[in-house]
Amino acid sequence: MSQWKPGQILQLETENYRLRSLTAADATDTYVSWWNDAEVQDGLGQKPRHWGRREALRHIGNFDNRQRFHLGIFPGEEALPIGFIAIFLESAGCAKTNTVIGNKAYWGRRVVLEVRARVLRFLFEDLRVFKVHGQVDGRNFASVFNYKAQGFTCEGVLRQHAVGPDGNRRDLLNFGLLREEWIAAQDQ
Amino acid sequence: MNPDAENAVTARQLLANALHLNVDELESDAAIGRTERWDSLAHMNLILALEQYLGRPLDTDTMLAIESLADITALLRSSE
Repeated sequence: MSQWKPGQILQLETENYRLRSLTAADATDTYVSWWNDAEVQDGLGQKPRHWGRREALRHIGNFDNRQRFHLGIFPGEEALPIGFIAIFLESAGCAKTNTVIGNKAYWGRRVVLEVRARVLRFLFEDLRVFKVHGQVDGRNFASVFNYKAQGFTCEGVLRQHAVGPDGNRRDLLNFGLLREEWIAAQDQ
Repeated sequence: MNPDAENAVTARQLLANALHLNVDELESDAAIGRTERWDSLAHMNLILALEQYLGRPLDTDTMLAIESLADITALLRSSE
């Protein structure tokens, strides 16, 4: 069980990473750069945002550590995060998450699987959430892999629902994982 | 070589390349969750390689169905 109380900084740990609620002090040049990086934003189906520190501060300020969490992913004892995972608690016991690995040196290193597994445990065990879901650009094959590898089900395809950075229309995929499915997977 | 055998060889080659393995290192039952090197980056490279080989983007349902070497072989067979 986590020692977290609503409104407090949330901290979680995995074997290789620490997760911590980002604060204004984390609006570094590195963090800002992820929002302006074409490859990173392409994974979100977005164009580079042309953000500065002000936009980054505003974004981080949107997360209250009650219903909305913006957790930096820190390898070991390193001070700079390599990405983040956002959590949004919704009505009816559902939670939405999305994960961004901004440091490309960590792409393909199973970071998402490791940190999201810890977040799932926090959501299902500590917060007693009923369902976790996420939405992914249909051309983000790496993210699709991660959802499937973690036992999520593709619950629906929103056909040509978005416009990608290349100007072409793209499908959006909704993935979901029920608590009972997560528990069954833990028992295996 | 008959078309089925050719598709099987091509599927093995495409997956082995994506996983950075030699073809003879690839197990015949390679699949997501079973094959250690089949990670997110390898999966992305695999789908892009399949699209390049077939000369067209994969539709979402087809992309979602690719979870094993057998699925890749079946896709190549159905695309003839």
